[in-house]
Amino acid sequence: MFAAAGVSSSLGRALLLVGIIGSLFGAIAAISSARSRDQAVARLIPRFAILIFAAAIGAFATMEYAMITRDFSMAYVQKVGSTATPALYNFAAVWSALEGSILMWVLILAGYTLAVCFWLRKKMDDVLANWAMGVMFIVSTFFFLLSFGPANPFAKGAPGVFDGPGPNPLLQNHILVLFHPPLLYLGYVGVTVPFAFAIGALVTGRVGEGWLLATRRWTLFAWGFLTFGIILGSWWSYEVLGWSGVWAWDPVENASLLPWITATAYIHSVLVQERRGMLRVWNLSLLVSTFSLTILGTFLTRSGVLNSVHAFSESAIGPWLLVFFGIIVIVSIGLIGWRGDRLHAPGSIDSVVSREGAFLINNVLFAVFAFVVLLGTVFPLVIEALQSRNIVVGAPFFDRLVAPIGIALLTLMAIAPVLPWRKASAELLSTRLFWPAWCGIGALGISVVVGATGFMPLLTFALGGFASGSALRQVVLATRKQGLRGLVGRTNGGMIVHVGVILIAVALAASNSFTHSQELFLKTGTPAYFSGHSFELIKIVEETTDRAISVKAMISIDGGQAYAPAITKFTKVGMNIGTPSVKTGVRGDIYLTLEPPVKQDSGEAHIKVFIKPLLVWLWIGGFLMALGTLLAAFPGRRRKPTDATSALIGSNDE
Amino acid sequence: MSDKKRVIKVAPIAATAVGIVLVCLLWVLVSAKPNPSENADSPLLGQPAPAVVTTTLEDKPFDLARRKGSWVVLNFFNSTCVPCRIEHPLLLSFVQNQLSTDNPAELYTVINDDNDSAVSAFFAENKGDWQKIRDTDGSIAVAFGVAKVPETWIIDPNGYVRLRIAGQLSEGLLDEQLSLLKVQFGS
Amino acid sequence: MSTSTKLNNKYSWFVMAAIATALLIFGGLRDGGPLTQQDRIDAITMRLACPTCQGESVYVSRASAAEAIRAEVARQVGSGLRTDDETIAYIEQRFGGQVLLVPRSTGVDSLVWALPIAALIAGAAALGVVFRKWRTTDDGAASAEDSALVDAAMASDS
Repeated sequence: MFAAAGVSSSLGRALLLVGIIGSLFGAIAAISSARSRDQAVARLIPRFAILIFAAAIGAFATMEYAMITRDFSMAYVQKVGSTATPALYNFAAVWSALEGSILMWVLILAGYTLAVCFWLRKKMDDVLANWAMGVMFIVSTFFFLLSFGPANPFAKGAPGVFDGPGPNPLLQNHILVLFHPPLLYLGYVGVTVPFAFAIGALVTGRVGEGWLLATRRWTLFAWGFLTFGIILGSWWSYEVLGWSGVWAWDPVENASLLPWITATAYIHSVLVQERRGMLRVWNLSLLVSTFSLTILGTFLTRSGVLNSVHAFSESAIGPWLLVFFGIIVIVSIGLIGWRGDRLHAPGSIDSVVSREGAFLINNVLFAVFAFVVLLGTVFPLVIEALQSRNIVVGAPFFDRLVAPIGIALLTLMAIAPVLPWRKASAELLSTRLFWPAWCGIGALGISVVVGATGFMPLLTFALGGFASGSALRQVVLATRKQGLRGLVGRTNGGMIVHVGVILIAVALAASNSFTHSQELFLKTGTPAYFSGHSFELIKIVEETTDRAISVKAMISIDGGQAYAPAITKFTKVGMNIGTPSVKTGVRGDIYLTLEPPVKQDSGEAHIKVFIKPLLVWLWIGGFLMALGTLLAAFPGRRRKPTDATSALIGSNDE
Repeated sequence: MSDKKRVIKVAPIAATAVGIVLVCLLWVLVSAKPNPSENADSPLLGQPAPAVVTTTLEDKPFDLARRKGSWVVLNFFNSTCVPCRIEHPLLLSFVQNQLSTDNPAELYTVINDDNDSAVSAFFAENKGDWQKIRDTDGSIAVAFGVAKVPETWIIDPNGYVRLRIAGQLSEGLLDEQLSLLKVQFGS
Repeated sequence: MSTSTKLNNKYSWFVMAAIATALLIFGGLRDGGPLTQQDRIDAITMRLACPTCQGESVYVSRASAAEAIRAEVARQVGSGLRTDDETIAYIEQRFGGQVLLVPRSTGVDSLVWALPIAALIAGAAALGVVFRKWRTTDDGAASAEDSALVDAAMASDS
């Protein structure tokens, strides 16, 4: 067993070394092929891509094998493996800590490199394609190096260890842990692809529109998975963490949100470049920012710098990521500055009240949004470094500053879909916005009747109604003209995504403003009442497995089905995890948690009840976003070259 | 029409601005100097100690106010906290040394977020026969502002808080600090 | 004229604006009912940071220090002796500035509020400048230059 164990470790490291060499030579091949136009060298590129993918899969498989066979000679398995963890959670334990998640990054990046290579297989003589592959290989080299060196998952552990604590108990509670990190990484790592093409375009000077259109689906794919990953993370937070919320503005969440913000700005702004060749500097900057923010985010969350700014220099991985981040930013800014003359737009924006104007305002709003989130995350660090004192920038800061930005974005979402290119007249706008505006009034009226209070939430609901009206108007018009085909394509898919975003905004506004909670002390047989519902303790149940003892309180809500919030004590780690239980409903969720201490045989339970209005609409909105992204990926109505690109001014198009 | 003559190069200017900001950020991060201090600050220093009324592990009552007349050392402890376990021998030797002084300080362990059986088991295995007092709802920790363990507090015979040591004790630190305080505040 | 074009005129928009304003003011100023004790506790704990976590509020965090602070806040709210701000001041006194979830607006800390507002103003100003620079001054009539171009092209054609 030990002989085999040593082999596992060495095999893994050897494969990573192959990966380093493969991606290094791949980068050299790609860049030299770009400069010399040598076709023989260009033909080597796919071989290197296959090689590094094989190496990455091999290394990951070796890690999984070690984890599944509980090979405790490896330090990483000692850290997160355990004989008591069930198979599925054990499989997911590989990416539950730093080294394994960097290994997963390597795997996904190698996969994307191979996929892009395959997609470019007929265009390997194109200089831009070569440069893009070169960038992908360079980034792969970095991550292979990271995994071989400072974040080494194959390091040998202390001898004589035969069991481990398993992954953090919070990660053994819910099956989502199997999906959330890989899906998030598919998005997070995926933004490397448009970045590579952006660098390629800058280096070759071909900053026109061709490569943008070509990489549209790659960007949408990465953005879609990033969105989905973030929403899954919120769902996990809701189902597992027990505070009944979905987003706490903590640094790890912010790290995943920052690239999402700039990527969203990009997928909108790129439409202006496609249609009118403008905003090139914006688009390139947004792509560069998106990728840089993924590296910065990883640095912030993995280097320990947020615990204490001094921890950063003690961590192995921090300096590497910081230097890489610096290199990316300096090189990208240098390239943009160098190519500045070619980025000057041939056209110009004629009027503020036009789709170009709206998208430009959109870019500025998203940029401020990203700035606020980045500032809030980084500010405590800076203060600690400069003044050696600890401050906290928490949720109220972000909520207070992001709320008005959100309102502005909702307003744009309402108006922009009906705006034509170039210029809009007041007449045109009032025709097209008429019914959506009444939808907004309707939504406002319903909210007031139902009893909502507070200016901000009501404004959110009103604008939400307005914006849904605009989005649905577009979809209705398209389906009238083309039947079911009207649901497919970039615009229509995008409108469905918008509806999803609006539902999420409404659900967040409702649950942030109108959540009520109460602590109840229940005795079996005596129901307690809160917010129009009755809660009765039926019994307390204890379940023991070899890794945990869980105590559940069966609570019947309104005399119906029993819900069982629990407290689970993971015996090996000595950690107590509370597990909430949720009754979902269209109008709101009833969220139950069990509070310690629980005395099994006393027939008493101390629970906390949260009433969360409209929360389920968050998940419905997320589902619509996923659906809309899928629909947007399909080609829409084929545009004839002689079609007018925008509505003639003054015409009614009902 | 667009004027091609008056081309303000926005891109390089914006790029340089962003670059400068980032360089500053990186410099700040890299040049951060650690601030080592063993004796932590607290608004309670020099103030009367908060009221501590609770029970010991042997279910006897404990009231900090009735310990006036002696120096009191409170050590906030949790049996799973690694630095607490590491500093335990230093507490044992501290108590040993105090026995040979003419006004020995009294050491009490305040149990922070732990259960009685784990604490008893720890002390059974690692020795230490001073009183361990309970803090089941965390109110003592909150009253002293203790968020992380271990922390050690020294209270003078008149009931005033004189010292706070946050983090793991180092060799001889407690004896040294106590002697200094005894000289400074008499008795 | 279709119904919607008949309805869609300045009068309708004015009515819409009036209804919206009325509803917003009514709903915004309406009293949402008395705050329960738990609501007060939640509001206070949402303003305090858990001292052993990375920026989580006491409301969110499940750490033991957060539980202890929640218990203390519940005690103080239950006793009814202190206002929300006084309770927060009490906790801040014990634990130091690290339990304030949002930096105060004094000194260097106020930068965290000032910078985003400055960014927003800068963004709006930049947009204003850009839109003004790019506004077409003519409404579609050809300039003298363009007419000359067309004439030259026509002349070379024939």
